[in-house]
Amino acid sequence: MPRQILTSVWVLESSVRFCGSNRQISVDKQKPRTGCGHYRWDLPDSAITPEAYYLRRREFLRVFGLGLAASALLPPRARAEPSALNDSLNPAFNLDGVKRTPEDLVTTYNNFYEWALAKDQPKELANRGWKTRPWSVEIGGLCANPRKLDIEELIRLVGPLERRNYRHRCVEAWSMVIPWDGFSFAKLVDLAQPRPEAKYVKFTSFFDPANCPAHRGKDFPWPYTEGLTLQEAMNELAFIAVGLYGKPLRNQNGAPLRLVVPWKYGFKSAKSLAKVEFVAEQPKTLWNELAPNEYGFYANVNPNVDHPRWSQKTERVIGAGFFSGKQPTFMFNGYEKQVAQLYAGMDLRKNF
Amino acid sequence: MIAFQMNSLIKVLANKLFALAVLVGVGIWLLVLPAFTGGLGANPLEKLLHQSGEIAIWTLGAVLSLSPLRVLFPRSQVVAALNRHRRAVGVSACVYGLLHFGFHVLYEGGLDGLARSLSKPFIWFGVAGLSILVALALTSNNWSIRKLGGKSWKLLHRLAYVAAALLLYHQSIAGKGHWYIARWLLLALFTLQVARLMKMLLGRSAYNRRATSSFRAVATPP
Repeated sequence: MPRQILTSVWVLESSVRFCGSNRQISVDKQKPRTGCGHYRWDLPDSAITPEAYYLRRREFLRVFGLGLAASALLPPRARAEPSALNDSLNPAFNLDGVKRTPEDLVTTYNNFYEWALAKDQPKELANRGWKTRPWSVEIGGLCANPRKLDIEELIRLVGPLERRNYRHRCVEAWSMVIPWDGFSFAKLVDLAQPRPEAKYVKFTSFFDPANCPAHRGKDFPWPYTEGLTLQEAMNELAFIAVGLYGKPLRNQNGAPLRLVVPWKYGFKSAKSLAKVEFVAEQPKTLWNELAPNEYGFYANVNPNVDHPRWSQKTERVIGAGFFSGKQPTFMFNGYEKQVAQLYAGMDLRKNF
Repeated sequence: MIAFQMNSLIKVLANKLFALAVLVGVGIWLLVLPAFTGGLGANPLEKLLHQSGEIAIWTLGAVLSLSPLRVLFPRSQVVAALNRHRRAVGVSACVYGLLHFGFHVLYEGGLDGLARSLSKPFIWFGVAGLSILVALALTSNNWSIRKLGGKSWKLLHRLAYVAAALLLYHQSIAGKGHWYIARWLLLALFTLQVARLMKMLLGRSAYNRRATSSFRAVATPP
């Protein structure tokens, strides 16, 4: 995007904020909808997604560093709404001309099987006393600097956060466009310093049978696990999100930190990470273990390889409307330029 | 007093209008009202698709449990009252199934998408089961019973069990975790059928014993 347009967008967004019009969509209140599948959020972009949160880093730290004491100092309104992150858009990942999925849809439509099989339930069930702060992440395996870090410490160590608008394509053939806030996974690799024999990265989500009823059941081999080759994990697109639409991740979106690998189906982007390990062998991953014929280890978005039960050629865009139909799905979800070389010479039908 | 209440309850249960209100009401409650209250969520068509499928399979389950209940509780007036609505419940299962198919076509975004979806065995099971339901709904009238004759009509309508098997399979592979829902319906239907068959077999052997003993009584007079 040329510089002038970028600037004008910035000015527009800032003006929305500084005009004092607080038209931000609240997540807590379910927006009433009109009939026949038309949504009240069918509004111009500027009205539904004011997300200019260019606050200073210190304010962010005050809220999360000092916890309750700090939040007590804030006015009640700021306490009710999730606080803003000090991120800034990385222009390389702006997705020019693409409409972002409204925030209230991103936070109410979640495949988070630890909480529910239905996508509209995690927003409630994941917020019934499950605490995602304080939170510690273990970085370990075959690396020079194994360590256990608190989420705030990790955020401090990796430096300033950035925003990226990423396409998100679920294996169930629906898609969103989401502004994530976080840092590239390569920064975490730098921290850990993997040893030469490390070839894969294994991601393990939280395991908390006391607060998460599903974890007490035997229907799934919890905790949730996912994996990437080290090369994939080092790709510029591989991202750790700690925020969404300029606010810390909501529980239902995988708070406090999650993987985001936009050229792969959504299930690869493991939520609520507890452990990141560098390993020599291809790790076992939950969906691949449950149904290897349906969910491959690579799980790259590929319109030419169908799921056994449905076609992957097209996708339904969340928020596009009742009669919008489906749009074509792109190879590697439109990120062919960045990642195709990772799979040069590989049979993607076999290694789906 | 209790007897009076029981009687009026049975009268209500046996009422055709009541049955119609319940069968249509379920659809209004789960498919129409949510469209006005925001209950359809971020992917409204998907929600309608799933809800209509659920209604269809549970309605089919309801109609299939009516016969075993009648055999198991021959003297229950409640069961007898409910059995008056077999045709309405069965036809409703088909109507909700057709709605489900309609939502599927919409969800796939038209005929291209529909054609692509028809290449999947998952969809075949649904289409096969629904085709049976359509055939049974079309022959759910007195004229068809007369035309086919009671025996062959009954044989034809036993296909409902085949449809149930196909559609339960369709439901349980629809998504990971769907089996955990479908298994309860399967368990209920299976238990009812086994209980019905047990009762019929036991009843028949008791009948046979009686028959034999009376025959002996005749054959060897004291």
